[in-house]
Amino acid sequence: MADSEPIIRFQGLRKSFGDRVVLDGVDLDIPRGETTVVLGPSGTGKSVLIKLLVGLLDADEGSILVDGTDVTTAGHTELFALRKRIGMLFQDGALFDSMSVGENIAFPLRRHTSLSDAEIAEQVALRLRQVGLPGTEDMAPSSLSGGMRKRVSLARAVVLEPEILLFDEPNSGLDPITSDEIDALIAEMKEELGITFIVISHDIVGAFAIADKIAMLYKGAVVAEGRPDVILNSPEPIVRRFLARNMKLPDLPEDA
Amino acid sequence: MSRPGPATQLVRHVGAYAIFFGDCVVSSARYGLRWARLIDEARRLGVGSFVVLATMAVFVGTNLAIQGHASFSALGAQSLVGMFVALGGVREVCPLLAATMVAAKAGTEMTAQLAVMRSKEQIDALEVMAVDPRAELVSPSVLAIMLILPALTIISIAISIVAAALVAVFQLGLESGEFMFFVMDNISIWDLVAAIVKSLCFGAIIATVSGYFGFHSERGPAGVGRATNQAVVTMCVLCISVNFFLSASFYG
Repeated sequence: MADSEPIIRFQGLRKSFGDRVVLDGVDLDIPRGETTVVLGPSGTGKSVLIKLLVGLLDADEGSILVDGTDVTTAGHTELFALRKRIGMLFQDGALFDSMSVGENIAFPLRRHTSLSDAEIAEQVALRLRQVGLPGTEDMAPSSLSGGMRKRVSLARAVVLEPEILLFDEPNSGLDPITSDEIDALIAEMKEELGITFIVISHDIVGAFAIADKIAMLYKGAVVAEGRPDVILNSPEPIVRRFLARNMKLPDLPEDA
Repeated sequence: MSRPGPATQLVRHVGAYAIFFGDCVVSSARYGLRWARLIDEARRLGVGSFVVLATMAVFVGTNLAIQGHASFSALGAQSLVGMFVALGGVREVCPLLAATMVAAKAGTEMTAQLAVMRSKEQIDALEVMAVDPRAELVSPSVLAIMLILPALTIISIAISIVAAALVAVFQLGLESGEFMFFVMDNISIWDLVAAIVKSLCFGAIIATVSGYFGFHSERGPAGVGRATNQAVVTMCVLCISVNFFLSASFYG
């Protein structure tokens, strides 16, 4: 796996909002078929990174190649074609309030496939079983708990069978137990789908539980990247500080 | 970074509004129109506005009759009450009245809904699903408003004339035949066409301004409030001033 061509390449990516520089030259490869966790304290541009990847924001400089197609210069048609290959789980689920759970999951199928109502209902039921919420089709998104909303959102994100699945802070706003359950669900889905996952997170423990690769983002740049064990032993002071705070590791000497 | 001045903000808004409007047209042409949504919105708006609008139209009619009578009876020209009702109601008050109603009901709802969807990342979610949110959410509502407003205008004209006639006859003691003669004599088909043209313009203003501010709102509850507020103020000012130019070009 490691030597196959990366599915996504961020190269020299820069993004500022007014005077505030959020991404200051990000270079990062996302390996195909693996789970990459982009880790970092809040406000380091992690969410901006994936919003640039799906074209919700425009980069100031640099390129994002997805299988050779540059998102930053892609036209409307190209971008929409690319987005059909990507599923995304938003922080708070981003479920449509005006639709039931079932309609939410059915929505991408209705817009992009010509499946019959019966086939769509079957798909919806299958996806809801997959995320551990069978039989909840008729519930309203507003009546769901935070964890359930994320599960439904995950079901909606995978219903078009994407090649890349993005998770924007999957643990944010969840209690530790629900958070662990979501991590377990992500690992399970990874096993089942075998596609490329990118997880944006500031939750170190969860990151190590699910990651094949970890990239540490700090002040708009990647300060460390590699397999979890490489990160764990990284001499980079920022990484040590971040890990120590969350995992109670002994600090390496500053000059390491 | 210092906040840009009001003039700069205005120019930015006008530019962004024009681009937004163009994008809506292009994306609807590209992805087709959501007819089901359009029909649903139009029905909801029509049915939902009817009772309030009818009530308002009744009292517009009554007051036009009372004011017309108060002004013209001093001159001994009570027969002109019918003319006053016809011209004031059809040409000016009813198109603006229906527009106000639709702005208050459909416009604010559209802005708030879009702003909440923006805030909760639902518009972003549509984008990532490769569904154009302009074609999906904005264009059907815009067309529904443009379709329903002329109809509501014509209905409010009819109701206001009937209400005015009742007041003229039963309260002010005018001759019913004479009153209706002066009403009908002063409304030409062109007045109705002009009223429809006005309401189409008001509909376009209300719908696109609501859509623009909702779609571009800042995140969070304050953003939703601000967007709704800006939308209402902008569409009121635009409707009233456009009304002047339309009246001036039709009747000036």
